[in-house]
Amino acid sequence: MKKYSPLTIISFLFAIIFFLSPLIAAGEYSVRGLNGVGHSLINYTWIIHQSGFYNNLAVSLRLALVTVVLVMVLLVPTVVYLHLGGRKWRRLVEFFCLIPIVIPVVSLAIGAQVAMPKWLQSTSYELCFFYVIVAMPYVYRALDIGLQSIPLQTLVEASQSLGANWFTTLRRVILPAIASAMTGALFITIALTLGEYTLASLLHFRTFPTWVTNVSQENILGAVALSVATLVGAWLILLLLAFIPKFKRNRKGVLVHG
Amino acid sequence: MAKEFSSHEMHGSTVEFEHVTRAFGSVKALNSFSLTLHPGELVTLLGPSGCGKTTALRILAGIDKDYSGKVEIDGKSMKNISASQRNIGMVFQAYSLFPNMTASENVQYGLRVRGVDSTNREKRANELLEMVGLSTQAGRRPNQLSGGQQQRVALARALAIEPRVLLLDEPLSALDAQVRTTLRDEIRRLQSRLGITTLFVTHDQEEAMAISDRVGVMNHGNLEQIDVPGNLYNKPKSTFVAGFVGLTNRIPALVESKGEVMVLNQILEISEHSQSVRKGEEVRALVRPENISVEKSSSSLASTVITKSFLGPMTRVGIDVGMEDLIYAEMSSKEAKKLDTGDSVKLHIAAEAVMVESV
Repeated sequence: MKKYSPLTIISFLFAIIFFLSPLIAAGEYSVRGLNGVGHSLINYTWIIHQSGFYNNLAVSLRLALVTVVLVMVLLVPTVVYLHLGGRKWRRLVEFFCLIPIVIPVVSLAIGAQVAMPKWLQSTSYELCFFYVIVAMPYVYRALDIGLQSIPLQTLVEASQSLGANWFTTLRRVILPAIASAMTGALFITIALTLGEYTLASLLHFRTFPTWVTNVSQENILGAVALSVATLVGAWLILLLLAFIPKFKRNRKGVLVHG
Repeated sequence: MAKEFSSHEMHGSTVEFEHVTRAFGSVKALNSFSLTLHPGELVTLLGPSGCGKTTALRILAGIDKDYSGKVEIDGKSMKNISASQRNIGMVFQAYSLFPNMTASENVQYGLRVRGVDSTNREKRANELLEMVGLSTQAGRRPNQLSGGQQQRVALARALAIEPRVLLLDEPLSALDAQVRTTLRDEIRRLQSRLGITTLFVTHDQEEAMAISDRVGVMNHGNLEQIDVPGNLYNKPKSTFVAGFVGLTNRIPALVESKGEVMVLNQILEISEHSQSVRKGEEVRALVRPENISVEKSSSSLASTVITKSFLGPMTRVGIDVGMEDLIYAEMSSKEAKKLDTGDSVKLHIAAEAVMVESV
């Protein structure tokens, strides 16, 4: 077994204490009972019993779904094209995809709002277009890395030499080959959409994050419980992301050899 | 409706390149390239990197369409026919199996695209995987296969669609020496058995010589010479071919008369495909190592054995004759036992004619 130096062990323990102690404290705080007396799960159940929980969650989930579709339809063909014939446009697209990171959300909300058609301004689906812009840098990067990890040009040429047209090649070869990258991009988009507060608030739309902010002002323990639940949820999603490809491989292996 | 798929022997097609030119900026990758492949023939394009051999193959596959000239299969122009409609099987240099599919699914892919029903697809895939010796690996994914196995599956996948022409783009270059030899023999066996017209591209001359009906040597986008391997080696039509195919000594020589040259104190005929030279000109004579015989000598003016490389049945001996480069001679390893490094030897060129080039 590999031996670690005392300094490594001390550094590791320090890191654990540094990162875990606030989480443990928050966890403990979130399970305190009524008025901070005793321990119970009342704070976790409190939030879901508030009026508007399900409606606002449904709104955010719908927006997340539309955003995912928009961002994938926009970016998957674009990034594939950049890896094949359109290499000369790569820097330009990378630049565009980085812009949302450097432009403050306030400027984006006010600036882009003016450009939106009137019919769209009256519906919360307008937010999806903003979310697409905000998610672009992360989704682009995830897809780009996914495509870099496969010999795309050769796979496309192989598929076409076997008689497949572009659509078939995209559907049967490219998309499955970058499924992990797409799953990553998908979860990032959902997480961004479900957690985005500023844009919705500035544009006066009611989404799950804006509703949570309002509601949690009435109960600080409930707000902490919600934070812990969100954090645990995010971890679970990350774990899922890490294990889905392995799970798929193993499942295939069992089927194959079984 | 699902199509029926019958397992027939494949029939070779005639392939014709006629004055095909392909330029990348100011560089001509192919320069008025012409070549005819006869039905069932295996032709190899051999040449150094950048000579245009892969470009020719990609043009035939339909992947590269930006060319002038004519490309025909069985007399039909390929100009407006897309890669997916040409029915050409291709095996690539890079591992090109679809990573999300098993070996069997990879082989079935082209049939699936053609609407062949699953029962026939699986049957055909099993047949082909068995043919390439991988029937037990049918359910494995590419990352569970070795490089050689992956290229075998790629070959089976290319053959599954019963292609009119098979294109092999340096499919063995990423493999280790032993697997290369086995797989190249297997490719030849399958190609002969199926009778499929095949264009093979490689920079490995041993590979080209071993499996081809004819070998075309390319240089700067031109086909320098196309011939059966033996003629290419023994009767090269240019100094480039003589230098590129096999090992060749370039020995300083002096033109004695219009048809004769003095090499290593021997007067030899100048072969017909040499560059034009004039009397008294200093040239280089191109001499194959096996055409140089070596015997021990006690003379103080003799040459010296510097290196001995054991090549199995043959041994290559490097000899210092006082020139900048060593001269190499090849002899049977049994014969070479008589020689040691440091020995004084004298050389004799055992050829009636040699090719010469200007210095």
